[in-house]
Amino acid sequence: MRVKANEAILASGFLGLMITLFLAFNWAPSVNINAFESPESQRIFYWHVPAAWAAFIAFAVLFVGSALWFFKRSSIGWKMHIAGSEAGLACGLMAVWSGCVWGAAEWGTPWDWEDWRLNTFGLLTLLALFLVLGRQSQPDGVETRDTFSTFGLYGFVLVPLTYVATRIWVIRHPGPVIAGEEGSSISSEMGLVLLIGAISFTTLIIGHILTSMEITKFEQRLERLQKELDGE
Amino acid sequence: MADPVLQLDNVTVRRGMGVVLDNFSLTVNQGECILLEGENGVGKSTIIETAARLLPMESGSVRHHGAVVCDAEGRRIKPPKSFGLTLQKNCLIPSQTVQQRLNNVLALSNRTLDLTGIIESYKIANRRNDKIAHLSGGQQRKVAVISGLLPGMVCEDSRLILLDEPDTGLDDDSVDCLIEHIHMLRNLGHAIVIASHDSRLRQCATRLYNFDASSIQQPNHNATWQVKSDTAQHSFLMTKIGWQLNFDTLVSLQTNWLAALLIMGTLLSIADPLTLSDNELILMGFALAPAFGMGLVGDSVFKILQEQRAIDWWRAQRNNVPNSYFESLLSGILITTIAMQIFIQSVDYQVVIIGGLITLTTSFAVRFLQLSTVRLARSNAVFIRLLTPILILPWGIIVDYCAKL
Repeated sequence: MRVKANEAILASGFLGLMITLFLAFNWAPSVNINAFESPESQRIFYWHVPAAWAAFIAFAVLFVGSALWFFKRSSIGWKMHIAGSEAGLACGLMAVWSGCVWGAAEWGTPWDWEDWRLNTFGLLTLLALFLVLGRQSQPDGVETRDTFSTFGLYGFVLVPLTYVATRIWVIRHPGPVIAGEEGSSISSEMGLVLLIGAISFTTLIIGHILTSMEITKFEQRLERLQKELDGE
Repeated sequence: MADPVLQLDNVTVRRGMGVVLDNFSLTVNQGECILLEGENGVGKSTIIETAARLLPMESGSVRHHGAVVCDAEGRRIKPPKSFGLTLQKNCLIPSQTVQQRLNNVLALSNRTLDLTGIIESYKIANRRNDKIAHLSGGQQRKVAVISGLLPGMVCEDSRLILLDEPDTGLDDDSVDCLIEHIHMLRNLGHAIVIASHDSRLRQCATRLYNFDASSIQQPNHNATWQVKSDTAQHSFLMTKIGWQLNFDTLVSLQTNWLAALLIMGTLLSIADPLTLSDNELILMGFALAPAFGMGLVGDSVFKILQEQRAIDWWRAQRNNVPNSYFESLLSGILITTIAMQIFIQSVDYQVVIIGGLITLTTSFAVRFLQLSTVRLARSNAVFIRLLTPILILPWGIIVDYCAKL
């Protein structure tokens, strides 16, 4: 059986995720039990942060794809838009879900409607959900692609806003881990597991995006063939 | 030489995944009537809808009376003069009466006129005070056709009249009447573009355009339409029309108000305000929640306009379509007053005004999201409201602020 490159990347990303989970639960040190309400639940951080990181990569792909379609009418751009929105939705939901689990254990509430980072990231995930569900509800055409690309372009404004949100309006969410301030440093073992998680999620998301683009290519080919059969 | 009333300059328009108009150009002068002919899907309706500013273009521009009204850069500028438009779909608001609809068309041209003679000629004078929803399909089409012709019938200076398959569903007498009216309006100097498969309409055309070739002909009809209208100025027209629509249909009562009252009832069912008297933040949240819920339902007039895609007709005519801004503000103020009285047992005028503004801005935001997807083939099925939860964040901040007042 011939294994394609995107399938191999997807599988290695998945394997990396398994390793990350194993290390997170069995090897990574516990945080200071006096500094947290629920120290053990902090281990979900090794899943949550890489998932959010991968979501941002997916949203960047969505943005580039949207721009390529909107300004250049690029077919590859539209495939990137679809792949980016699907991957952004998957990783966004993973980050939101794991964040809610941690929030419920640490803060006593899964969600804070007044926390800017939670809400802007939640909106990004809802935007991805809107793009995925909305696109499936419409016939493919320039009108559909233009409208969803516009949302993809405007939605990307939320990415830098989400990143800087904890610096400007700190309410509950911890500060940035990647490229954060001096006080946000973590131990080397924690950093290693986090790095493995980030690499695994990045690999997985690349594999997912490549696979999704290939599926879209086949769908478009099928659509063309159906139109040929219809005599259009 | 007669002045051009409509110019399509090198227009490229895509629909679906195909290019329907490719660098297409067309000029229609005063006193000209062009009949667009051709097979289904050749682009007749696309020309009409592009001329009416309803379709985005890949290239080119559209001019009315020499002024650009839309172009490939995405500019949409209000046409310098009102124009007549009958689309393939009737685009009527079913809750309006025939008279109200035609009054709206007159208002867009800043004119008033006794319409009796015109609607009698199409044999719907007895239905002028009936709701459009109660008319037959053919009668509704007649209203749509009169709406398209009316700007030309009330204005002496040249107007553009766009008619897409106007004869569809009309009886023979009405088609004869339509042909007579087109002749007379053309002779008055108006520019008319018709898309149709009906060979009877050929007799009123000065140019037959079938995409491969066009031919000039001279219609044998010299009668001219006599304009008898009076001038009338209208300000805040879209808000007035929105208010009237709301008032006639009570749509905001069954949508926005119902949601607000349900929220208030639900909150009352879980907490006794008297036992929460020491928690000002919670009480303020309860007092402002109905106003917020009322706004989240969206603009009630927009809901009416989505029926039969009436919004397309309004979008073609004006950049801003009928709205319920004024009604939203008033409703928000009223529901906040009631909610404050129930939950806080006192009324603070600052909070009441903030409640009104919450409803206004929230419904405006929802309307903006809905308008941004109105181009889609199935705009009601697009899940756009998934984006509205972000409005909870500013609402929460406002509640915090109001609790400290």
